[in-house]
Amino acid sequence: MLALARRHSTLLALSAITLVAVVLVRVLKGPDAVAHAWDGSVDLIIGILPSMLAGMLMAGSLRQLVPTGALAKWMGKESSWKGLVIASAVGMATPGGPMAAFPMVLVLSGAGADIGCVISFIVSWGLNGMNRILVWEVPLLGPDFALLRFLSGLPMGFIAGWISRRMPLRWAPPESLPR
Amino acid sequence: MTGRLVLIGLALLCFALALRKGRPTGMRALRETRDNLVRIMPMMLVAMPMATFLAELVPADIASGWLGPESGLTGLLVASFAGGLIPGGPYASFPLVLTFLKAGAGPAQMVALITGWAVLAFHRVVMWEIPVLGGRFALVRTLSSLALPLLAGLIAEALMPLFPHLLAGMR
Repeated sequence: MLALARRHSTLLALSAITLVAVVLVRVLKGPDAVAHAWDGSVDLIIGILPSMLAGMLMAGSLRQLVPTGALAKWMGKESSWKGLVIASAVGMATPGGPMAAFPMVLVLSGAGADIGCVISFIVSWGLNGMNRILVWEVPLLGPDFALLRFLSGLPMGFIAGWISRRMPLRWAPPESLPR
Repeated sequence: MTGRLVLIGLALLCFALALRKGRPTGMRALRETRDNLVRIMPMMLVAMPMATFLAELVPADIASGWLGPESGLTGLLVASFAGGLIPGGPYASFPLVLTFLKAGAGPAQMVALITGWAVLAFHRVVMWEIPVLGGRFALVRTLSSLALPLLAGLIAEALMPLFPHLLAGMR
């Protein structure tokens, strides 16, 4: 029972927040507001479902087409700005949550990527990951806003990597992969 | 609507490309799509009502005032920092952004908020970055990205003339 609750903790937390929100809307704004919000949710779900399915199919297919780990050899210390650009692109192409991306930093640095490149990688994964843009951002916020957001975020991985190369702090990957 | 058709077209194209690499590759793509679906669908079915019900509760003046299109540099800073505080994955942040946009928040401010959520992500630093990569990495990474949300917001502000219907279309 506890294990089940832990595995679905996010879902439970979201449900709890939703429940509280429903009660608050009913108490503070009355039944009409509840009906209004409910209609809004149904429209929203029906509206974004096709885009979301398409986004998932696209992300799942792209992942079969783009190899990532093999690119680490172009991300060394001497890779100048090109390494940062490649690392940013690899970050964008890397799907999955933090459980996939953070260990990927270890894989890349183990294969020779320098601090600037791994920072570019992780920042651009967090900000411009294609998977997230396709599955969440475009369906929910619309292609126009997603494009504005994407363009505004595009240089960020590069900038963060560039700054970190000039920072007087050294980082070496931990000896062993964490369990 | 056209955006949706383009996305569906692109998805089918990518799937066709995967399929061309062989049937097993195509099957792997489908399997990943299904796994994604099973994992995300329950979250989505709860997150969407959460967003619309919260939207009823957000006082209009927070979204359109503090985070409104006219809130300028202060709004961008508030949004950047607030973004870093939002815990959880995209299932939490994007419905929230939708809520704010519908309540009148500025697109550039929301770009700063999403960027803050994505690169500062204080909860992710504690839960993932420090345990997997160590405190030093987290420090270098955080210092390198501290200014990015504001910068992204400023870029978005500068790009806004290219997206004239964003301001009108959200309401």
